[in-house]
Amino acid sequence: MKKTLALVLAAIMLLCTASFAVAEEGQTLTVVAWDAGTTPYLFAQKEAFEASHPGVTIEYVDVASQDYAVKTTTMLAGGDSSDVFMVKEITDLLNWQEAGYEEPLNSYIEASGYDLSGFAGIESNYAVDGEQYALPFRSDFWVLFYNKDLFDAAGVDYPTNDMTWEQYAELAKKMTGDGVYGTHYHTWLSAVVNWDVCDGVNTLIDGEYDDLAYFYELYQDLEDSGACMSYDELKAAGLHYSAAFENGNIAMMPMGYWFVSTMINAIKDGTCSFNWGIVAVPHKEDVAAGSSFGNLTGAMINAKSENKDLAWEYVSWLAGEEGSIATATTGTRPAWVSEGVAEAMASAEGFPTDDASKAALVPVYVGIEIPASEHSSEISTVLNEEHSLIMTREYTIEEGIEEMNERVAEILG
Amino acid sequence: MSAYNSSEYRRRQKKYERRKALVAYSFIAPNFIGFAVFTLVPVLFSIFLSFVKWKGGAFSTMEWVGLGNYADIFKTAKVAEKGLGYLFTKVDLGIALKNTLFYTVVTVPLTLVCAVALALALNRAVKGAVGFRTIFFFPYVASMVAICVCWRFMMMKDGPINQLIMAMGINYNKSWTADSGMAIWSIILVSVWRNMGYYMVIYLAALQGVPKDLYEAATMDGANKWQQFFHVTLPQLRPTTFFASTMMIISCFKIYDVVAIMTEGGPGRSTKMLVTYIYDEAFSNFNYGIASAIAMVLLVIVLIFTLAQFSMEDRYANN
Repeated sequence: MKKTLALVLAAIMLLCTASFAVAEEGQTLTVVAWDAGTTPYLFAQKEAFEASHPGVTIEYVDVASQDYAVKTTTMLAGGDSSDVFMVKEITDLLNWQEAGYEEPLNSYIEASGYDLSGFAGIESNYAVDGEQYALPFRSDFWVLFYNKDLFDAAGVDYPTNDMTWEQYAELAKKMTGDGVYGTHYHTWLSAVVNWDVCDGVNTLIDGEYDDLAYFYELYQDLEDSGACMSYDELKAAGLHYSAAFENGNIAMMPMGYWFVSTMINAIKDGTCSFNWGIVAVPHKEDVAAGSSFGNLTGAMINAKSENKDLAWEYVSWLAGEEGSIATATTGTRPAWVSEGVAEAMASAEGFPTDDASKAALVPVYVGIEIPASEHSSEISTVLNEEHSLIMTREYTIEEGIEEMNERVAEILG
Repeated sequence: MSAYNSSEYRRRQKKYERRKALVAYSFIAPNFIGFAVFTLVPVLFSIFLSFVKWKGGAFSTMEWVGLGNYADIFKTAKVAEKGLGYLFTKVDLGIALKNTLFYTVVTVPLTLVCAVALALALNRAVKGAVGFRTIFFFPYVASMVAICVCWRFMMMKDGPINQLIMAMGINYNKSWTADSGMAIWSIILVSVWRNMGYYMVIYLAALQGVPKDLYEAATMDGANKWQQFFHVTLPQLRPTTFFASTMMIISCFKIYDVVAIMTEGGPGRSTKMLVTYIYDEAFSNFNYGIASAIAMVLLVIVLIFTLAQFSMEDRYANN
């Protein structure tokens, strides 16, 4: 009896080790990302990477988008050993770098002879003191979405890639009426005044905000003339910009490029059914047409990862040509720009087929929404507080901007 | 012989007492260990953090700054130069303090008055009293997020509340949450509405405990209903009022959820509270040292109120 038991136990043990050996053979890379269950490009990237790297499995750790910074920072502080973390905001990267959570990448880049030229310099936003800490795989710049059906119905020409802000405002007013809003501004500071950084000189962290007045005046004029929904209403109703645009009564809407894939899916699943297109955002007289601002999304290697080489293989693939093509096929704009990538972007199923939309894919300049600095998050808190006061007309534009200047000067010391 | 006996007896007595104490400690232990791990240590750590500069991450990145964080949140240099008015109009901490105090000072008495009024009304054998009690208690058990979102809608421009106000002849039509003068009132309103049902139940229980003969005696002495209320009911409710106000003052200082959902601290800084300020510093800016220093300010305030209330307990909490 005892003998049989011993034999059975030994057999079980043997089986256990055998199954472990099988698991060891395939490698698993854990990647922390937001909304992993619903983001199309994450599916496409996983599929393409696993196809070109047999035996490797990508496993996403899903974190809700709005909690991403808090949750991931807590994970990293707690010694989490997930291999790769997606970088949502440049400020997160900076905080993590300061805390020592990130694997420095220069040695990997040198050892593998990795070519950074495809990023056209934007990768430097992920570098601290010359050391690269992450690679960007997505770069969303802002474009102007418009509802072609509304323009057709009104018999008005479509917006173009070289409109000035004055021409845009005029067009918005022309399109307004009969329940149609000429344009739509989401409640964010970035949707209303971030255009100021398109000139390549201004930034939102330089402590000088007088230039924002131009865009606040433009906005208030449009709001007063009924060409867009009021900030108060949007705030109180908590209306999401995608619901607003998909509703079909908004002629134009400046929004980030990520909204392209939302629109492609909305048409596909029948949420809305009108024709739409994109053009470059308008520009000020003295700024080149096709200038925009945007944000980077990247990936970094956790300093506590136990698969750093595989993690580098993944991160470098993701940001490079092959990963970028996988990303582009879902209507998302990769950070790596090449002819192959641009082709993949324009050929994404459901992407508008007109030439203006295709031309809008290649901006002449992309400023960074809020560049990383020691004080970026404090400054953006202040700007958002004052923004809400200007937008609700609690403050005049001058009062709000004066306080921005004053309070940010205090932060900068 | 007797000396041996007595020392042996004492030894056993001691051993017995030690064992008894051990049994007692073992009963306290599970609770105390939980308290120590999840409350005491974090509190002590937070006190320590308020003296360092730390963005999270390895402990070696901590930098001792002494009272630097406190000087930073109180902007002591600027305040010394420009006076106390500057603290309460320009400095985040001063504004958060002012807002939190205002919210507390208005919310606590308003909730108590509403709760007592409801309890008195529903304490009689009116038709459907049980139904009304349930209705008034309902907000307390309903989801906070749902409540706040609904109220935000009701207080919108052209919303039902503004239409009512305008029907009464007052010319006001702005979203309450987008008006820096009204935003804090929208938060007070929701808080009072939500909590009055809970305190109503407590007052109802207390009202049942007021001896009937006191009212009989008062009636015999010729007291009218108002006199009965002020001279019999209210004094009898004093211990309950003491308990309710203590609990409420502490919870008001910790206000966060309603603000986060309804106004996010805005417009501007008009509804910035101490706890929303702590959250912003800790989890948007990752300044754990600064956030801990603000938390210490909150701790001190709550501690002062609690101690004051404890010292008044003998006078007010007992009949």
